Amino acid sequence: MNPLLQIRDLQTWFPIHRGVISRTVGNVRAVDGVSLDIYPNETLGLVGESGCGKSTLARTVALLEKPRAGTMHFSGQVLSQAQPGIRRKIQMIFQDPYSSLNPRMTVLEILTEGLVQHRRIKSSGRVTAAREILADVGMDPDVLYRYPHEFSGGQRQRISIGRALSLKPELLICDEAVSALDVSVQAQVINLLLSIRRKHGLSYLFISHDLGVVRHMADRVAVMYLGQIVEEGPADKIMDAPAHPYTQALISAIPRIGAEKGKRIVLQGDVPSPAAPPPGCRFHPRCPYAQDICRREQPELKGYEGGDSDRKAACFFAGRVG
Amino acid sequence: MEEKANILDIRDLSVSFRTDEGLVQAADRVSFSIRRGETLGLVGESGCGKSVTAMSILRLIPSPPGRIDSGEILFRGQDLLKLPIEELRRVRGKSISMIFQEPMTALSPLQRIGRQMVEALQLHSRISRREAWQIGTEWLRRVGMPNPEEQMWAWPHNLSGGMRQRVLIAMALMLEPALIIADEPTTALDVTIQAQIFDLMRRMKKENESLLLITHDMAVIWEMCDRVAVMYASEIVETGTVEQVFRNPLHPYTRALMAAIPSASSKGRELYHIKGQVPPGINYPAGCRFRERCPIAIERCGMEHPMLDPYGDQCARCFRAGEKGVAL
Repeated sequence: MNPLLQIRDLQTWFPIHRGVISRTVGNVRAVDGVSLDIYPNETLGLVGESGCGKSTLARTVALLEKPRAGTMHFSGQVLSQAQPGIRRKIQMIFQDPYSSLNPRMTVLEILTEGLVQHRRIKSSGRVTAAREILADVGMDPDVLYRYPHEFSGGQRQRISIGRALSLKPELLICDEAVSALDVSVQAQVINLLLSIRRKHGLSYLFISHDLGVVRHMADRVAVMYLGQIVEEGPADKIMDAPAHPYTQALISAIPRIGAEKGKRIVLQGDVPSPAAPPPGCRFHPRCPYAQDICRREQPELKGYEGGDSDRKAACFFAGRVG
Repeated sequence: MEEKANILDIRDLSVSFRTDEGLVQAADRVSFSIRRGETLGLVGESGCGKSVTAMSILRLIPSPPGRIDSGEILFRGQDLLKLPIEELRRVRGKSISMIFQEPMTALSPLQRIGRQMVEALQLHSRISRREAWQIGTEWLRRVGMPNPEEQMWAWPHNLSGGMRQRVLIAMALMLEPALIIADEPTTALDVTIQAQIFDLMRRMKKENESLLLITHDMAVIWEMCDRVAVMYASEIVETGTVEQVFRNPLHPYTRALMAAIPSASSKGRELYHIKGQVPPGINYPAGCRFRERCPIAIERCGMEHPMLDPYGDQCARCFRAGEKGVAL
């Protein structure tokens, strides 16, 4: 099967400006050489700590940031800002349902703005279209003339999902879409996202720092650290037996009900600055198993000895440590 | 096991807030105790009243619009609500300290870390500046700050979120308080940093120090606490030891909360979710406040307000808590 989205060696850097004439003194290498595939009707979970570049990667795919290098293909076509037709097919949902909806627009306007913009409906068809979308996301179709502030966080997130679905996308990017919600509401939105995927056959790029949620949602998982993918493979396999030391630490750090208390790998220190990533393996300063080679050479993301064919890890000792 | 004395007894605490829409009941006759050396978790969803309860202990509720309407907060037998403000100031920080969710707003942005630590130390004990500086440096070392001598000169904005939270933990612990109140101390942090902070709190907390940990995360309760109190719609709805409550939750809200958490075995299945929404804090309905959302509600739940009744060592605010085998 051909991937829906194919990313190769993608780099998105942000220049750091200093001084009165705004000299460029360096770059934040938010995304630094990422290759990924997302297949039709698949959910790829993207996990990592804050600042690892997962949101920048998502925004680059959604054409909200300009990549510095690398290629992106969507259904075989080059994905770039010069191709407005593809843009509609990739939609995004954000973390904060309070700031991602325009407070001065009614639900009707929010849900049909994109449709009118892309000339997919006439303005006379707006009400019918909006009511259909609301029914799709499990909301009362009679709320069309209300404003975002009249809704709870969970309902707002449903409206955001509705807005994203209005353009019939093929890829939906969820950037921490359920992270700000309380557990009971979070469960509702997760169920909604799963039923939408079943119904419309979408692909998801599902970004979250909550590995429990990612495991529930995703078919495959990619783990990101300092702008690069360090491990990739089927969600259950990665969660049950992580191969990369970083993934191991990340998974062991999550408090789990029923787990033995206080038994975990505690990583030392913070994530280094993405403006000056360490040489060699970027994880080596925090890695409990780092050897000389890790300080010198950068490991490639690839299959490893003893690992299943559908798994990859960027570690010289993948599958042999932990 | 020998019963340890209670360090804190909260009895029938009620707090309300005046808003444009009307009077919001934020905490409603909340009662619980914390024993010496114990970690109690207070868990619930946003707006349930857990933070308001915690802030009331040191009378940090902004007033107006907030007001502590009634109740007692007995700390070592002394009612903090009746204490003159000068005496309360001596309790704050020295006997009871607080760790907040957002470490940036809890530190002054205009003073270096060292100066803030020295000020707090000198406020509560008669020591010289030099001594205070040394104690501060030592505590930064204990909480795992790299180069503590240098970090004493750092500004809060120079530090990462995890490092700032370490500073606050050091400041909360350095006066060796009897009770530490931590309100979502790791919610703004990444899981790996959360693991560091919990590891630290577990190692640093002394035998006789008590901890009140406020969180929305059931897994954090499991990880860190001895006992748990679950709050819903401004009331405590269930209390018990962590082992009991996780093995056999009695209140349907607690049960639903746990069923809503995605886990390894939930994959591919629909997650349990609680229908509807928390009722607004203005004019709570008579009867049980969870009734509208409860899958096992009976007629009585609409008419009578359930009390927090004991079932063995656990307590639950539900008429059906004593029944066995009621499926959600």
